[in-house]
Amino acid sequence: MLTCNGLPTVDASVAEAHHDPVNSLPVSSAVPKQNAVDSAHEILHHEVSCPFCGLLCDDLTTRTENQRVTVQAIACPKATRAFDACVPPGEPLIDGKPAALDDALAAATRLLKRSRQPLFGGLATDVNGMRAALALAERCGAILDHRHGEALNHGVQVLQSRGQTTTTLAEVRNRADLVVLVGANINDDFPRFAEICLAPAETLHPAGTAGRQVWHLGPRAERPRQAGLRLEQIACPQAELLDTLNALRASLRGRAQGLTGQRAKAITALAAAVKQAAYTVFVWAPGQLDACAAELLIGSIGELCGELNRSQRAAGLALGGNDGAQTALAATAWTTGYPLRLSYAGPTIDFDPLRYQTRRLLAEQAVDALLWINCFSPAPPPDNDLPCVVIGTAGSELRRPGSVFLPAGTPGVDHAGQLMRTDAVVALPLKQLRDSDAASAAGLLRELARRLD
Amino acid sequence: MAKLTALHGGRVYDPANGVNGEVRSIYLGPNGIVPAPADPGEIGASHDLSGCVVMAGGIDIHTHIGGGKVNLARMMLPEDHARDAVARGVHPRMGCGHAAPSTFTVGYRYAEMGYTACFEPAMLLSNARQAHLEMGDTPIVDKGAYVLLGNDDLLLRMLAGKADPAAVRDYIAWTLDAAQAMAIKVVNPGGINAFKFNQRKLDLDEENTAYGLTPRQILLALAEGIHTLGLPHPLHIHGSNLGVPGNLDTTLQTIQALEGLPAHLTHIQFHAYGTEGDRKFSSGAAQIAEAFNRSPNLSMDIGQILFGQTVTESGDSMRQYAGSAFGSPKKSVLMDIECDAGCGVVPFRYRDKNFVNALQWTIGLELFLLADDPWRLFLTTDHPNGAPFTSYPHLIRLLMDRSFRNDMLATINPDAAAASTLASLTREYSLYEIAILTRAGPARSLGLDTLGHLGVGARGDVTVYTDHPDRERMFQRPRYVFKAGEMIVRDGELVASPTGATHVVKPAYDRAIEKHIADYYQRFMTVRPNNLRVAAGEIEDDGRGRLVVHHTGRRV
Repeated sequence: MLTCNGLPTVDASVAEAHHDPVNSLPVSSAVPKQNAVDSAHEILHHEVSCPFCGLLCDDLTTRTENQRVTVQAIACPKATRAFDACVPPGEPLIDGKPAALDDALAAATRLLKRSRQPLFGGLATDVNGMRAALALAERCGAILDHRHGEALNHGVQVLQSRGQTTTTLAEVRNRADLVVLVGANINDDFPRFAEICLAPAETLHPAGTAGRQVWHLGPRAERPRQAGLRLEQIACPQAELLDTLNALRASLRGRAQGLTGQRAKAITALAAAVKQAAYTVFVWAPGQLDACAAELLIGSIGELCGELNRSQRAAGLALGGNDGAQTALAATAWTTGYPLRLSYAGPTIDFDPLRYQTRRLLAEQAVDALLWINCFSPAPPPDNDLPCVVIGTAGSELRRPGSVFLPAGTPGVDHAGQLMRTDAVVALPLKQLRDSDAASAAGLLRELARRLD
Repeated sequence: MAKLTALHGGRVYDPANGVNGEVRSIYLGPNGIVPAPADPGEIGASHDLSGCVVMAGGIDIHTHIGGGKVNLARMMLPEDHARDAVARGVHPRMGCGHAAPSTFTVGYRYAEMGYTACFEPAMLLSNARQAHLEMGDTPIVDKGAYVLLGNDDLLLRMLAGKADPAAVRDYIAWTLDAAQAMAIKVVNPGGINAFKFNQRKLDLDEENTAYGLTPRQILLALAEGIHTLGLPHPLHIHGSNLGVPGNLDTTLQTIQALEGLPAHLTHIQFHAYGTEGDRKFSSGAAQIAEAFNRSPNLSMDIGQILFGQTVTESGDSMRQYAGSAFGSPKKSVLMDIECDAGCGVVPFRYRDKNFVNALQWTIGLELFLLADDPWRLFLTTDHPNGAPFTSYPHLIRLLMDRSFRNDMLATINPDAAAASTLASLTREYSLYEIAILTRAGPARSLGLDTLGHLGVGARGDVTVYTDHPDRERMFQRPRYVFKAGEMIVRDGELVASPTGATHVVKPAYDRAIEKHIADYYQRFMTVRPNNLRVAAGEIEDDGRGRLVVHHTGRRV
């Protein structure tokens, strides 16, 4: 949809969807405001969903002043840092030089037209951004992979070979009397997980959760720092997580663990705790695991849950979903039938997560153009010298010949949207928190599709 | 002014208006079916439907088309998709089919089969946003969803605390509104919740140990609340003990427990098992049908199984866990979900030579053939649990063609065939009755006034079949399908892809309940109710969708 002067309007669809009485910001327009002077008054937003982490905490209060959004009241260093760093994305670029949006769109369209095998990477966007990326990928015969495709694929491989037994955040909070963090460092990556799920003020089943134990398997330095946890630590380097977990499984089956000394004692104690527990949850962070052992580890956790569920209750929880990863996975699956990574190049959709990895495709020169979508935190595409379009935040752009930068707003800051939480059930609405010049990735991708036709 | 489309010469089956095979003309305008125009100049396209059968667009009252468990099944089963990929150029969007199809393919394939409305029967409030997103990417068909209650800790706490029925009604109404739902569904009442506390079964009068509530109590609280609220569709019940041999007793007791309150019993085939014979597995179809026939307050859909590979997707984590040992291939998903419900996804292969599967096949057919009142009976396979929805034409042939049915009976496990009364059931469904089962009945049950019929004022969803003695062939490939007066299918191929509407109900409620809910969520949950609820604008999505709100008439 074009305005009367021929420039595309921003996707207003989901922006209008959320009539939040507190939010009185106008819908943004893509016409650049050359002399924008933001008003001096500040605006508070309540029950804001934080788009910067897979936990998608939705209880934030934020303050918007002069285009800067800051977090009030909630003590989350990750959110604070991310909102602080979330500056407006700046101006469009062609080959590193400022350009009008319309010209940059034209250049991007030409780039895509000339490409025989494009790769759409990054995919760090919201639901509507993914819908538009998938539609454009089908149009262009593109390959699709997410920034965190490696981490996502660990879970996909296990799901497809053995299935999974999982739970969600509210279940952990209210029901788990034993939580085992398997190599998961929740301190920096998921800072509020402990507060929300491990040590909440109140739970639905206090008799069960009052004595909740939290066991951490992993490097000592990574143990959770949250106060108020009944914490047990089994010091274990990442490389030994799988063996340690398998020793736990052996112990639970009454077999020899194959361990000695302190760790053997600790595993025996953990096995005893698991046997007593009413609801055990194993937590891992796919993005933190060494790629070579991740599938085996996740698979082993799954098998353990399967063994336990014969006579008691247990389940797993993957902490991930950053940068829209869970959203990308879910939207791709309902739209195509397949999870990531896949290709629209052929007559039918080809799912092949080993083949369609960003790093490998670039290294093997198997693609001839890159469309990099990255809207939550600054991250340029991986090293490449391909014709490249970046749709994303400030700091994600390339400035070399053969590149186009289309500035895109951050969902949940510059425009409204929806994102899926890490536990793959809850999806949260995102609010628009500041008046923004930037279009949404969804709007830009739809405009590219329109221009290609 | 837009011209009308005239359909002449077809034999019309419109049970809602008592039309049984008469040759009649139908006039389609932009606002639906209109009377014959005084001025023939108003007519644009005119179609000669001699030799054709004309019905309203089909309505699937229970089909799993959107939400987390459906999507997990997709992700888990690439081998299912490889068998049935939809190539570029076949439909406006690529995808894949069979048991866990992609959303676009679901919409296109339903339309190509002559269906214009589908209802997702197991939406969780905590997953409602995703369910609506997936339905939003399901083209053409109108849709709606039933939201789960009865295993959520919030309701169970209320009931255990002897909450006022008025408060329960308000909570039901709030849930319908927040989830943007069409009806309330209960799955294994109290059982999914009980499984989280390691209970492995829950009979009708057995207590969920955490809350001290029985399925009977939960069912009655919900059924009464819904009845008073005046919702068009009654409580949609997936009963206790699904799949358990002997569950016929649970089903009969459940029917009795309802004491005449309106209720819908879903995929009743899975709840109709006895324990007779050497293998302690027998048909309870006769008893269930008899109880159904004398209970005008009940409706049911069959949930027919058909042989082949499919995947079972259910909120009933307790029963799915038990069934996962029999899955094929051997992998499954089990989830405990947000103090709301749960789910289980277990791929399954129904084999004609397997005694149990073969008997299940006969049980579903017996139920179809023994039930007296087609207005209270709906044709489903509980897609994909019993079979993919694309198998409906095959099922219709089994119901209409006794000779074909007996031919099929001769190919199944012979012990099962011998144990079944199917060979002696001579009934053959007529086209009129099939139209009731697949159009008129579901529309009436859901309160969809302008769908499921072809009278003046109907919306103009029309399916035209070329009459053919092979009913499977006939129903597989309609000659024409119209949606809201626009031609969308010609000779089994898609020619247009409009957007369908989302149907909801919004009974009034006392807003005071919101404080109670907000307080509960604040103390115990991980989202805010204001963020959980799906806003109308999200479904409308800048004109890409449309909400249709249906009237509810509160009973005093």
